[in-house]
Amino acid sequence: MIEFFTDPVLRAPTLGSMLMCLASSLVGVIVFLRKRSLIGETLSHAAYPGVVLSIGVASLLPEEIFPIAVLAGAFATSLLGLKTVDILERKFRVKSDAALTFVLSFFFSIGILVASRFQTTHSLWYKQAEMFLFGQTATMTDIHIVIYGILAIFIIAFIVATFRHLEATNFDRSFAETLGIRCQTIDHASFLLLALAIVIGIRSCGVVLMAGMLIAPAASARLFSKRLSHHFLLAAVFGLAAGFIGNFLSIRLPQGTYVLPTGPTILLSAALLCLLSLLFAPKQGLFSRLFRRLRFHHECQMENGLKALWKGKKVEFPFLIYFHLRFRGLLDKHKILTSEGRQRAEKIVRLHRLWEVYLVDYLGQRAEKVHRNAEELEHLLTPDLEHALTELLHDPKLDPHHQPIPPGPPRTLL
Amino acid sequence: MSMSSSKNGNSIFNVEELTVNYDKTAVLWDVTFSIPGGQLVGLIGPNGAGKSTLLKASIGLVRPLSGSVQFFGQSFERARSRVAYVPQRSSVDWDFPITALDLVLMGRYGSLGLFKWVSQKDREAAKKALDMVEMLPFAQRQISELSGGQQQRLFIARALLQEADLYLMDEPFAGIDMATEKMLVHLFRVLRGQGKTLLIVHHDLSAVQEYFDWLIMLNTCLIACGPVKEVYFDQNILRTYGRSTHLLDEAARLAQDKVTGLK
Repeated sequence: MIEFFTDPVLRAPTLGSMLMCLASSLVGVIVFLRKRSLIGETLSHAAYPGVVLSIGVASLLPEEIFPIAVLAGAFATSLLGLKTVDILERKFRVKSDAALTFVLSFFFSIGILVASRFQTTHSLWYKQAEMFLFGQTATMTDIHIVIYGILAIFIIAFIVATFRHLEATNFDRSFAETLGIRCQTIDHASFLLLALAIVIGIRSCGVVLMAGMLIAPAASARLFSKRLSHHFLLAAVFGLAAGFIGNFLSIRLPQGTYVLPTGPTILLSAALLCLLSLLFAPKQGLFSRLFRRLRFHHECQMENGLKALWKGKKVEFPFLIYFHLRFRGLLDKHKILTSEGRQRAEKIVRLHRLWEVYLVDYLGQRAEKVHRNAEELEHLLTPDLEHALTELLHDPKLDPHHQPIPPGPPRTLL
Repeated sequence: MSMSSSKNGNSIFNVEELTVNYDKTAVLWDVTFSIPGGQLVGLIGPNGAGKSTLLKASIGLVRPLSGSVQFFGQSFERARSRVAYVPQRSSVDWDFPITALDLVLMGRYGSLGLFKWVSQKDREAAKKALDMVEMLPFAQRQISELSGGQQQRLFIARALLQEADLYLMDEPFAGIDMATEKMLVHLFRVLRGQGKTLLIVHHDLSAVQEYFDWLIMLNTCLIACGPVKEVYFDQNILRTYGRSTHLLDEAARLAQDKVTGLK
């Protein structure tokens, strides 16, 4: 695996893609948090006419200048696209999504038109322009590493230098302005960096796929981070990982004549990391949410069992419930409530009946209608709510069905 | 009005013929008043009366058409460090990835240059501010996990960290629980006891006499400004909340249609 960083042929594509992913995932965090994810899509497509035109111009220049000239061209039309969006939104009052879509298709069409014009007359230019549609890493050289490295360092330096200002501007703009933070300057700089990250990225991912590389690492990282600094760091890690994995797979997987293009493979790696995050993230992940729902269901079953026993009913416990109640010391081996079990059961019955009193007395519900709702709420009410209910209802002794309400813990009697 | 202001020392917040338009619609019209220091000041008026706009125009978030504003006899730019602004809670995205402590620390960002990070001293001060609003146990919580009342407390704690002399608060009592409201009122009184001035945008008339010493009654134009006892009576309330300005609104709407060229 180490040869991906040392081998003269492999090292440029690998490091180039990783640097590009690093840059785009960092800037992506800002775009993602501003809920402007679509802007990446628009700017990358708007960069295309710049790429095509500068390929024509750059062919007249020395070969070392070529990558820089293409970057400059892409950067220029990308900024032009940004400005157009801005004008459409402010002067013509076009809705944001419409303006973004319009600029995307308009600029991209122009790029395609010019590229087609080259097809018959300058087939080399056409091939080079094609390369930027879906990206091509294999032809990268060490000069790309240097350029992308410098740009990536530039982006990191900006984020570190203005971190506090970025945080305040993007979280609470009007407050930040009253502190004297120049929010508009921060915005302009952020958009410049966005355009930069995009023009770096289109070389390996292509204009069509670039936007995904901005958003996927940011979206994955968000699920694991509760602070902005963590969000940036994790997005960078996800980005670097996607860049490496994509490159690795696109070189190692193919057998025979079958080719795995690097750009889409990088994107799929980023998307896969994102999917895994959505499934397994500790708080918001699908599986942990499923687990919490199952656990709640289990708790309800346990409490219902205790309640039924307390009321003197015969209860058939499922094995898992029985085992857990025994384990917690709420039930003894003759399936009789321990004193703790009785306390717990009384608390649930109390909450159930208190809630019924509240529904009938304060919300004017009919007594026969309230049982089902209370059946659910008895598992949910917190001690604070119990306290508030007790005070509001003057610690009632009977529920609407004239059943006694077990007394609450001492502090509710105050 | 002049009697009381002289009794309470010099005025610290002066608004002079302030007019704010959104396009051609007048939101604030020729508003002039001044507020003495060390008071709990309520700013009341119906929806769309320009309460938030008055705050925003005073601190440069909205550009006024004409008029001037002075804090402690200076422009806002010069008096910035003595004024703390608390925006409406609903104006920010509570899903933003920061902790309660991070949010409060923003109160110190005004003095931070590039590459500067908050110091241990700032951190201690932020924890003290969190403690004052009874939010210290939640310091490391992500802000999206907190209730509306708890989020509002963070905003107040952030303002406390600014150690200002004048607090401009936009609807701090909106959508919060009773316990938080009680706590905030108590805290505001403590601050007043330290000689601070609080200007609070408020819409619940029932608590006006209980909460405030001074009152600004606003409905596009200034209706009244003075000690609650002197200005809070039926006629002013009717002028503030009645339909008296609705013809003005109607005319403004007509003007707006002409300007945009839509009708």
